[in-house]
Parts: sequence; C-alpha cells; structure tokens
Amino acid sequence: MIAPAVAAGPPRVTAIRSFIRRRRRRPWYDWYSTGFAVVLAVILLWDLLAQPFGRLSGSGGADQAQAVAGAALVLGAAAGLLVLAQALGPLALSPADAAWLLLTPLDRRDVLRRPAAATAGIAVAAGGVLGVLALAMAGPFLRLPNGPGAHRVPSAWLLLSAVGGAGFFAAAMLAEVLAQPWPRWRFRLRAAGAAVGVGATVGAVAGERWDVVSRAITDGFARLEVGSFGLIAIVAVAAACTAALLVRRMLPHFPAGVMRAGSARAGTVLLAAAFLNVPLLTWIAEDSHWRGRWLHSRPWPRRLAFAPRLGPAFVLAWADWRRLGRRPAVLAALAVSALAPALAGAAFTGRAHGWVTAAVLLAGAMAAGTQGTTATRRDTNDPALRRLLGVDAEAALAARAVLPALLGTAWLAVALALLALTGELPGAQWPVLWPVLGLAAGPGVAAAALRVARTAPVNPADQGPDAAVTAPPWLLTRAGSVLLGVVAAWPTLRAVYAGHVHASTFGAQVAVSAVVLGGYLMLAVRSGY
Amino acid sequence: MRVGYGSFAVLEDVDLTVAGGEIVAVTGVNGAGKSTLLSCLAGLHRPAAGTVTVLGGPPRDDAAFWRAVALVADEPTWYPGLSLREHLELVRLTHEPVRGWCRPAGELIDVFGLAGRADAVPTDLSSGQRQRLSLAAALARPSRLLLLDEPEQSLDPGFRKELAGLLREYAGHGGTVIMATHDLDFAAAAGARPVLISEGRVATPGTAP
Repeated sequence: MIAPAVAAGPPRVTAIRSFIRRRRRRPWYDWYSTGFAVVLAVILLWDLLAQPFGRLSGSGGADQAQAVAGAALVLGAAAGLLVLAQALGPLALSPADAAWLLLTPLDRRDVLRRPAAATAGIAVAAGGVLGVLALAMAGPFLRLPNGPGAHRVPSAWLLLSAVGGAGFFAAAMLAEVLAQPWPRWRFRLRAAGAAVGVGATVGAVAGERWDVVSRAITDGFARLEVGSFGLIAIVAVAAACTAALLVRRMLPHFPAGVMRAGSARAGTVLLAAAFLNVPLLTWIAEDSHWRGRWLHSRPWPRRLAFAPRLGPAFVLAWADWRRLGRRPAVLAALAVSALAPALAGAAFTGRAHGWVTAAVLLAGAMAAGTQGTTATRRDTNDPALRRLLGVDAEAALAARAVLPALLGTAWLAVALALLALTGELPGAQWPVLWPVLGLAAGPGVAAAALRVARTAPVNPADQGPDAAVTAPPWLLTRAGSVLLGVVAAWPTLRAVYAGHVHASTFGAQVAVSAVVLGGYLMLAVRSGY
Repeated sequence: MRVGYGSFAVLEDVDLTVAGGEIVAVTGVNGAGKSTLLSCLAGLHRPAAGTVTVLGGPPRDDAAFWRAVALVADEPTWYPGLSLREHLELVRLTHEPVRGWCRPAGELIDVFGLAGRADAVPTDLSSGQRQRLSLAAALARPSRLLLLDEPEQSLDPGFRKELAGLLREYAGHGGTVIMATHDLDFAAAAGARPVLISEGRVATPGTAP
C-alpha cells in the first residue's frame, strides 16, 4: 500500500522558495496595509528628521544643550533598537518557514541565509541613518575644513558617518545573532543596551542642566576631523565584517529549537505590529515575562477602607494592582519614559513641531494607562469570572478604571513638568499649571486605555470560517480608541501645541475628562467596547 | 532525564526506552510534560540532566536527523496563500531525494478525506481538516520516527480509527511512533503501549493492551 518513493536531485532552498513564491497568492489588503504603513512611516520620519538633518547644511542651528540631547537621543535610539531586535529574534524565519523548512534535511545555512541577510541589511540601513543623524546633531559645533563661515558639512564626512554608523550597528546586531542561542549572553547584551540607554539619558539631562557638561561634549565634537571619521569608519567596517564571518560560520549549526521559538514570537509580533494590534503585543510580552516563574500567593483584600461599596468589584480589579506590584521594573521604565517628550522636544522637534510633542504625550499616557489593564484585557470577553463573583459589569469596569487613570495621570504630570522645566513649554503664567493640567487629563486618557484593552486581541492570521471577528471592524475600533484619547486630552494637547496654558485650560480639561471617562463607563458595557 | 523551564521542573526523573517499530502513547494530565518530552526527543529542548538517545545517538539537529524524524506539533502553521495540495508537494520537495517508504501526496489526500478541499488554502479549512493536513504532511515523506503531539485533537471519532490504522501500518513498515495523547481508546486502537507521566515521572510501566 505504501509506495516506494522516487529518488530525485538534492533539494535546493532557492528552488523551494521559488516554488512557494510562484504559488503564493497574497490578498490585496496585504499589499495595501504594507504600502500604507511604509508611506505613513516615511512621512512621519521625514517630518521628524527634516529639522535635525537641516543642521547638516547650516540651517536650523542648535544650542549646546540641544546638541547633547540630540546625540544622547541617537545613542538611546540605537540601544532601544538593539533591545527591540533581541525581542524579535533578531534572526527569525516566518512562522511558516519555521514549520515547513526548518525541521527538514535542507541545508540550515541556506534556510537561514535570507533572514540573516535581511537582518544585516536592516541593521546597515538603520545604522547609516543613525550615523548621519549623529553627525547632524554635532553639525553646528564641528570645525569644518571649508573654513570659518562655511557651515555645509562635506559629503566625505557624511559618507564616512553613514559607513561608521552602519558598520557599528550591523556589528552590534550580528553580535546579538551570535548570542541568540545562549540565554546568558542575551541577558548580558540586553543589560549593555539598557546601560547605554540609561547613560545617554543621564548625559542628556546633565547636558541640559549643567553648561560645563554640554560645553565639554560640544568641544569634543569640534576636535573631530576627517581622519577621525575615516578611522571610525574603518574600525566599524572591520567589526561588521568580523561579526558577519562569525555568523556565517554559525548558521549551519544554529539550533532549530531556538529559531522555532524566536520565529513564532517574531511572526506574531510583526503581524500584530502591522495591524497596530497593541493588546496582542502586550499579551505576548506578558506571557514571555511570567513563563517559568513561581509566584508567592497573597490573600485577596477583604474590604477597602476608602471604598467599601466597591467591594467585590475592586477585588476583581485588584489583579492589576498586584501584577504591577510584582513588576517594579515596569513602573521604573514608565518613570524613565516620562523623559521622552522632553528629550524629543529638545533634540528633534523644537517649538516648530509642537504636534510631535503632543502626540508623544498622548501615546505615552495611553501606554502608561495600558499597564494597568492587563486583567481587563484577559477576561473582557469572558464574563464567567464576573458572574462567579456576582459583580455588576459597570461596577467592575469603574473599579478597573482606577489604576489606569492613576498611571496615566502620574505619567502625564511628570512628563509635562519635565517639559516645563526644560523650557520646552514656556508660555505659562504659572509653570506649575502644566503638571496640574496632566493631573486633569489623565482620567480622560484612561478611558482610551481601557478601550484599547477591551477590544479583543485578534490575530489576523486566524481569520477563517471559525473566526469570530474580522480585521476591518477591528482596525476601526483601534482608530476609535486613539480618537477617544485625543478627545479626552484635547485641551491639554492644544495647549502643548500652542505652548500656552491658562487657568481656563485647566477648567476645560477637568470638564472634558469627566465627561469622557463618565460617558465611556456608562456606554462601554452596553456597546461591548 | 530532568527537564525544566527556568526554575520550574516539568520532568523530574523520566527513564523510557522505546523499541524500533513500536507505538508508544504518552499520557498524563495537562501540564504533565508530554509535549516537553516530545520536544526533547526532537532535540528542540535540551534536558537539564540526563541523556536522550534517538535512533542510536543524541538528537543531532542536522540533515540526517530530520530525514529520519518527523514532528507534528500541536500548533501547526501554514503558508497563507498555498493550497493544501501545494503544502504536500512542498513536503516532498524539501525531502528530495526521497528514499524509503511513504505514500504519494495524491493518495494521502484521498485517505485523509481531503479530496474535495485539496485546492483550498488552509485558512479556509476547519480545524479538523487542518489537523488532517498536518498528519498527512508527516506521512508524505519517509521517516523512521514519528513524533505526534495530540494527533487526535479536532478529529472526529470515525477518522481517529482510520488514523490509528495508518499508524499501525507505518509501524508495520518499521517506523516508530511516539505520541502525546489524552485519548486512551485511540491509543488502544493504534496498538500503542501507554506510558503515564505523573508528577514528572513515568508513573507505571505500560504494557501492550
């Protein structure tokens, strides 16, 4: 019954990939979503980077503190990208390739060659941009060979900076590939990335605060010559080539187990990112964090002195408080991230681009609020637990709104205070009004965070005959959540954009927050979102 | 062997020998470590202590090893735009030159009751049909060891019996099957030796039913 198979030539990965490519049918919305994301990214990046790149041609001069903050932000961005790459792999196949090509007799190096080349290519492109950006930050303080009065940075410097950035970043990324199968080395590289990020942040704050620091750094920029750039580029290229050779030698023995786990994670993450599915991303991150951990049991609170009427509803909400208490690093990261709007404002955008600062504030406040909605996200569509505890849906949602409101409020207040302190928000009669405005906007933004959490973390790959939710309405609900956040924080965002705040702004923000949060709590249970 | 995730030990002390041509059904409650055991046998997870010997040596994770071992995991993934028939063609292509016993793809499509859906993409299939495709893919290429993680899931009772017959046929040609399962009737129909894993250990040595 079982037929003897026919022998043929040895399989080649290129032929197999060609077989898949020829037969694969991609739906129109795949191309649409990819194209839309690329166009949007190019527009946003161009607008964000136009001002710092302008410094290369002598326009848009910067003061010392701005240059230091800019350089720190470039370093921080590089470190952040490396940590992100590690979370994604950095070497990863598509989940389908991992399932159908990896556990086969195919040559492992051939199977992994394409993702390795893609990783290196992305690293070279990102590193090149970062290298030029670093040069742009230092631009106004460079001693140019054209003599005094000439501010245009020579093309050779530009090229060497791009090569240097690309080389070092590619070397770092390939080092992460080499460390991928070894948890201890992965941890060390992650710690090194975090240390660079923290160091850059501290340097930026010190440069902002003390002239002596910013002067010392910009004096260092002035000592750079074409020879220095050449040396940096040569060292970077040598480092990248060495790392590439080591990776090439490693590929045939790259463990399938590591690649399979990384590919499944990376595939889901990329899919979630492509569809702006934030809850799915945080869901994955949560699962990765808690896997393999032993937790000590703690009793549930019996009754809360300050809110006895909330009773069992607050017990339901307590899960998020406990989870956050067990993850102090999340709180620390939130505290540090409150510096981001000030740094972005100081280094990149300036007052001419107040909308970027406003957008960063809104995104940060929503992200902070989302950290208090994990349990809401998990059981939002499963009322069994609520029924078991005999908790009313409205009361449960109200109790669950407290933590995201507190987190969003605290984050906004700190971020606005830092923006005011660094002089990015000068137009207030009383500067203390800025953080107070954050206190008023936070509860409103919590409604948006809750809405993000309460929309199901749909995996678009699972769309099929038995899928409960289809992608388009789900994408609309995500846009609706962002719109809710914009409405809830509108007086604050408008004040940040304009750079002026009055006592009346505070009153308007209190009213808008109360209406948005109250209205959301009343309508959310009925609408299901 | 001893296997764990972080500080959590899944398998404490597992000692198991499976002969060539034998079918073994590893059973146990959820979280007992059945899938972890299969991962160790496939070389995808390294035990903290002890040794694993598969087909006369440690799992080597190389071309020769994957020519001899087929794994059906519990969470299958697909190429979104490739049809069911094209997935089976792909399996053949990745295992060329095909030397050994295996069923032709066309015959497997009939045997697995997928003839009417052969040109459909997996996302248009029901979960049971997708599970049939996973199993058909494992049998569309020659192998000496078949590792199956809950092969009976989503399958109707009638097809479970047919699958049991297919596994017996595979073992009859010298292949070894080790599967994690909760369905003891299915295991018995396949003539499998049951092995119960409890609290990280092989609780009772199984005997042939």
